[in-house]
Amino acid sequence: MTTLSGTAGAPNQDARPLLRFVAFGMVVVLASSLLLVRLFTLQVSSSAEYAALADANRTVLQALPSTRGLVYDRSGNPLVTNVASYSVKIRPADLPDSRRDAVIAALAALVGKDPADINVAIDSNPGSRYDLVRVASDVDPSVADFIAESGQDLPGVEVDVETQRKYVLGPLFSQILGYTGPINASELEQLGDQGYLPDDLIGRAGVESVYESQLRGSYGLETVERDASGRKLQVLTTNREPVPGDSLVLSIDTRIQQLAQKALMWGMQRAHLKRGGFIVMNPSTGEILAMVSLPTYDDNLFQQGISTKDYQAYLNNPGKPLLNTLTADQYPPGSTFKMITAIAALADKRLTPETRLHTAGYLTLGGARFVDWNGRGFGMCNLTCGFEHSSDTYFYQAAARVGIDRLAYWAHQFGLGAPTGIDLPTEASGIIPSNQWKMETLGEPIYPGDVYHAGIGQGYDAVTPLQLLNAYAAVIDGGTLHAPRLVHDILGPDGSIVQPFEPTVIRKINVDPNILRIMRMNTRQVVLSGHTWNLRDLPIVVGGKTGTAEYGIPDAQGRLPYHEWFVGYVPKNPWKTASDPGGLKAMARTDSNLAFIAFTYEANTVGNVSTEICKYFLQLYFGIKHDYRMPALLDKGNFYRD
Amino acid sequence: MGLASVRAAPVRDWPNSKVGAVWRAFDLQLATYAALLAGLGLVMAYSNSASAGGDAFAGGSVFLRGLLWAAIALVVFVVATAFDYHWLQTFSWPLYLAQLGLLVVTLGIGSGVGGSSRWVSILGLQFQFSEIAKILMIVVLANYLGARKGRLDSLWSILGACILVGPPLLLVLLQPDLGTSLVFAAILAGMLFMSGASLRWLAVLAGVALASMPFIWTYVLRDYQRGRLTAFLDPLGDLQGAGYQLWQAQIAVGSGGWFGKGLTNGTQNALDFLPVQNTDFVFAILAEELGYIGAIVVVGLFVALIWRILAAAWGSRDPFGTMFGCGLAAMILFQLVVNVGMVIGIMPITGIPLPFVTHGGASLISLAGGLGILESIRIRQGRAEW
Repeated sequence: MTTLSGTAGAPNQDARPLLRFVAFGMVVVLASSLLLVRLFTLQVSSSAEYAALADANRTVLQALPSTRGLVYDRSGNPLVTNVASYSVKIRPADLPDSRRDAVIAALAALVGKDPADINVAIDSNPGSRYDLVRVASDVDPSVADFIAESGQDLPGVEVDVETQRKYVLGPLFSQILGYTGPINASELEQLGDQGYLPDDLIGRAGVESVYESQLRGSYGLETVERDASGRKLQVLTTNREPVPGDSLVLSIDTRIQQLAQKALMWGMQRAHLKRGGFIVMNPSTGEILAMVSLPTYDDNLFQQGISTKDYQAYLNNPGKPLLNTLTADQYPPGSTFKMITAIAALADKRLTPETRLHTAGYLTLGGARFVDWNGRGFGMCNLTCGFEHSSDTYFYQAAARVGIDRLAYWAHQFGLGAPTGIDLPTEASGIIPSNQWKMETLGEPIYPGDVYHAGIGQGYDAVTPLQLLNAYAAVIDGGTLHAPRLVHDILGPDGSIVQPFEPTVIRKINVDPNILRIMRMNTRQVVLSGHTWNLRDLPIVVGGKTGTAEYGIPDAQGRLPYHEWFVGYVPKNPWKTASDPGGLKAMARTDSNLAFIAFTYEANTVGNVSTEICKYFLQLYFGIKHDYRMPALLDKGNFYRD
Repeated sequence: MGLASVRAAPVRDWPNSKVGAVWRAFDLQLATYAALLAGLGLVMAYSNSASAGGDAFAGGSVFLRGLLWAAIALVVFVVATAFDYHWLQTFSWPLYLAQLGLLVVTLGIGSGVGGSSRWVSILGLQFQFSEIAKILMIVVLANYLGARKGRLDSLWSILGACILVGPPLLLVLLQPDLGTSLVFAAILAGMLFMSGASLRWLAVLAGVALASMPFIWTYVLRDYQRGRLTAFLDPLGDLQGAGYQLWQAQIAVGSGGWFGKGLTNGTQNALDFLPVQNTDFVFAILAEELGYIGAIVVVGLFVALIWRILAAAWGSRDPFGTMFGCGLAAMILFQLVVNVGMVIGIMPITGIPLPFVTHGGASLISLAGGLGILESIRIRQGRAEW
């Protein structure tokens, strides 16, 4: 500062108070030091902390969806493909409340949806307000372009390219494949730590649901740079690569599935039925070759976000198209259950095949009459006679000899009254009554009449068609009960088999194989006796058993409605030969690979429509030119009307 | 020390050795520091334009407009240097009227954000007359105080200065532009202090100003202004509002570290986390991209610049020149502290630009004019005795 004083002597020294200049200079030094100290604490001392904050500002972890696995039929034809499609999503946080109605109305008009459906999608969004909500899938590319460019007019609306499931054959496989749909809040809560996102899709129904974890693969993770408005700018690093999902090869043969659907549709149309089902199975492995439940739905509709209108239509359809008639609901098995009663009686040595019982028009028990279906009985009958004519009075007596608990034991041995473990969601378990069951359920003991009814598959008995076919499969196969399977092999992303098919054995039933052989031949006798009309005349050897299962409430004439069953099979090389014209030798074998069941709900037809359906299926399957069907028998009318 | 060179050589033979003497009297350092600061401003404008994904050389970009303003500012600087500053004293009162006129025009036809009227569009370029008014205020005050040397012990002289500043300050406050009106107050305070005015009366005046704070707080300030003034105390408490800007600015500054992220690499800048990053908050981006070193350079340049201005003020032989230099120094110091302080979270948000660095034509041109006048003062000291 000496230099400053050194300049003193200038004329206007009075106007330059030295101390004020010094003071000002000190203020400058002080102020700039203060700034530099504060800058030092920010930029040097706390630099790492602020750098982390800046990174957190600009980066966001984002899931990298994996490619969902495909589903093929048994010959390798794709049943599901992934196609790229545009979907429209909304980030509710970016949609101002004041403009919400206008934006949704405009968007609804663009994508052709009901504004109410979009509002429901937003309000049921399982994520937070900052998570995207899918409001429309499979949007036309030109519409998607338009929406993408209308950012100002449609705040919070984004267009996303996603892969979408296309179910190639649509309704033919809907009940088997199911579909994928938006994840809901409770699922997200459960599965969130497995990498599910709020706008994720998850398998619903069918194998899409059961094999969700395999099909989904695992999502990758990437660090994405974004700007202040949340727009994604670039991928900084890929933290984890996504692993594509595995693909499924079904045991279903598309050709057999188509034939089964064709036969079932014909029978149901002919008999004016609302519900029915048909399953074809390889009894020696448990592989399901065809499974048709009608009416059905179109899984592609769900894929695009089903409209409320379409969904209500499905719910209101009396045929329950969303329900798999064959696995998810249970019905009295009727006379088809006589197979179990017969095996129980033989295995417990309550009867021999030759034991003759008197069959009459009815049996009397405590003043009540238990009638035979034909009202007359079949005279003195051995097992074959009772089985081939399906004599109710024969099996009342057989059941009474076995007793309810042993009957239940054998039914359970053959898998009745319990889920089969097929790879489909929501399987009904069925009911096989026993003393314990009735005490627990109804608080009453079993009465003798209950035993009679149980012996012919009526009363409390209820099974799913799949259970029943599987029980017969165990008889046909010679005593092994398999878990039925829809998925044959699981393929890795590279197409190699990562999990080959292996039959799943539930149990080897401890029963004399001879008894099963006798019962197989008896199923052939059912056909040979003419009880099943002219299955006998087919050029192939068929065995089987009919069932007419009453249920519900009697009509004005006291007649009950009834379902109709036919469960049957053909041996390997089923064509009739001169050396075995009746086919009984073929039936003695256990080499069948084709068993089937037809179930018709509330059929009430004079002729057994399920038998006709099976007959038609066999004609189609074996390419039999001569038509053996008897459609006149299927005109609607009650079996008992004459 | 360098201050020895402050004193201009008496130019007794002005006409003969005019060019050489003028060049010797011209303070090249002053011009250099200012040019470096303005250059840093342009570099930040370039960085901002380039990292926003746009072409920095595209028509209408912040960078190109900055270049244009810098060219105009250079012309203004040269003209002001050549102009004999004594005429400013002569025209002091008309200039005062012109200053009021500009501010009234701004209020009348100006436009701004959210109902305010802060700038006037001229040929498509937005121009803030209040920036020019600040320099004119310094001229007027320098004339007033310079003419009252030795009488500044009188309260009336001090009050007279306050009355001079009153109308333009109020006009700016009405725009409303709280920041610029505070700059007016700072210029007044700085110049009164440097004029040698009685410290006693200055203390009384400061006491009155402090006492009127609650009144101003309640009746003059608007809600958003109060929010901005207090947000810096707890930026995280109001992250959806005024605190957001402050918090993002601190993140930008803090994440810069010693050497910064490099030009155009500032993520807070490029990704728009920091709004108005090319105007009032440009220092945040500078600190983010050039780091603590860059911040030291900027603060250092300002200190050097203010030193040269004070030196010129000291060297002036007439009170007007001294007062003018002091006013300019007070203005730049105040704006530096308040702007950088705001960015680093120790001062409230007031919307005061960082001199030379913040992009804005009027600000740069006014400062160029001010520095030009200062150079004019330096090179014309000899004439007093000639």
